[in-house]
Amino acid sequence: MKLHRINAVIVRHIYESRRNFDRVVDMIWWPVLDIVMWGFFTVYLSHSNRLQPTVVSCLLGGIILWGTFYSFQRDMAVGFIDELWCRNLINLFSTPLTLAEYMAGLLTVCLLKVMVGLVAASAIAWAAYSFDIVPWLPNFIPYMANLLFFALALGIAITGMIFRYTTKIQALAWGFAGLLMPVSCVMYPMSSLPKWLQDIAWVMPTAHSFEGMRQVLDGKGFSPLHFWWGVGLNVVYFAVAIVFFGWIYEKARNRGLLVKQE
Amino acid sequence: MLVEVENLSKTFDDFHAVDNVSFGIERGEIIGMLGPNGAGKTTTIHMILGLITPTSGRISIFGKSMATHRGEILEKMNFTSPYVAFPFRLTVLENLLVFARIYNLKKPRARIDELLERFGITKLRDKAIARLSSGENTRVGLCKAFMNDPELLLLDEPTAYLDPEVAWQVKNALLEAQREKGTTILYTSHNMAEVERMCKRIVFLHHGKVIAVGSPIEITQSLLDEEREEPALEEVFLRVVKGKAA
Repeated sequence: MKLHRINAVIVRHIYESRRNFDRVVDMIWWPVLDIVMWGFFTVYLSHSNRLQPTVVSCLLGGIILWGTFYSFQRDMAVGFIDELWCRNLINLFSTPLTLAEYMAGLLTVCLLKVMVGLVAASAIAWAAYSFDIVPWLPNFIPYMANLLFFALALGIAITGMIFRYTTKIQALAWGFAGLLMPVSCVMYPMSSLPKWLQDIAWVMPTAHSFEGMRQVLDGKGFSPLHFWWGVGLNVVYFAVAIVFFGWIYEKARNRGLLVKQE
Repeated sequence: MLVEVENLSKTFDDFHAVDNVSFGIERGEIIGMLGPNGAGKTTTIHMILGLITPTSGRISIFGKSMATHRGEILEKMNFTSPYVAFPFRLTVLENLLVFARIYNLKKPRARIDELLERFGITKLRDKAIARLSSGENTRVGLCKAFMNDPELLLLDEPTAYLDPEVAWQVKNALLEAQREKGTTILYTSHNMAEVERMCKRIVFLHHGKVIAVGSPIEITQSLLDEEREEPALEEVFLRVVKGKAA
């Protein structure tokens, strides 16, 4: 991998973000809107003494962390779909740029964008709802890393599918993470799910991150169990995503889909 | 030989897009690839670029196999076609800067300015791609194609959207690159007069097969099966399309 080529991909997507209002909306608007809406909901609940303060923190913390996961996965896939929309794939891949370099560049850009959204949402949660995420960060960061790791695996798998099925399946870029939300236990503990869904939730790295986050906010400290479960599952999903991506990319090249551009 | 294509075939399901094609390109040569729509020209170019995996056959460029040395080979070659595009919200300069970074150019802005001037689009430097005409877009593609000063250039109908004056300017730029830097060029076009002027040798494809290789006059005589003193590629083309060639 060559750094200058990764840098070229980063620059390409930064230029795009600067000039495309949709990307700004994705990066800041949605995370901020989510936190504003859920924030008012927690204000309503806490004013009526319906909930303990930790539950309010869990809701706000859950929204911020879910936003991080969702944005990262979406931006990975949308970043790639952008190349299809503007018929730029042939230009890019008729250069020495490798797929690994392209993905590394895109990943870096997505991390930067997620950080912007995270800072904006956290600032609003702190200013408007007195939820300060900063003291929790040392314990949250390992869970957030697991969320991003899983988002990366999903982003790679979805990008692979887009290589093969092109823009026909572009809705997956926005919709796939939502499919995982019920079993990721973002707003509620895993124990609230029916038994058969709990079994599914156990194999979701996201569910372990949110369970871990709730334990931290409940004052029970960092949960190595949920962290390591998340890491183990992520290693498996990441390996599967890489193998799947390599296989589907070769299949797309073989069928001439890389040059179809639609 | 700078490029060797041996027994190259590509089958999509049961359609033979390219069927056992072989040809070579000498260093410093401008070779034309002709054929009606669907003859397999673009698929062949895409296989040479490694964008499509051949069903069978071998491609060797700079003495190295494309299958195993793709990255190394692509450092020294380039490609453009008016049918591919650039991110349309980015300006011409921003798009070209991205490619300048990919090729790790030391003075990217100076190189870009030089190329914009060569293709007569300096005034478009800060314009978004979305606001360019097809012909202007084609010229941005040519700037991209010359970015790394390639030893081998693959051009798929590079003058398709250009008016005669600009097309003439582009052809001169290509001939100059070949003359001064020894750039090897593989050129496809539907403009027969242009091919006659530009190319010393032609590969004629039809239904995915090579039906003739040679100079424009050799192709004319071979496919019309008669003695001619001047090349008549347009007549050849029409006869091939109508299935009346020799």
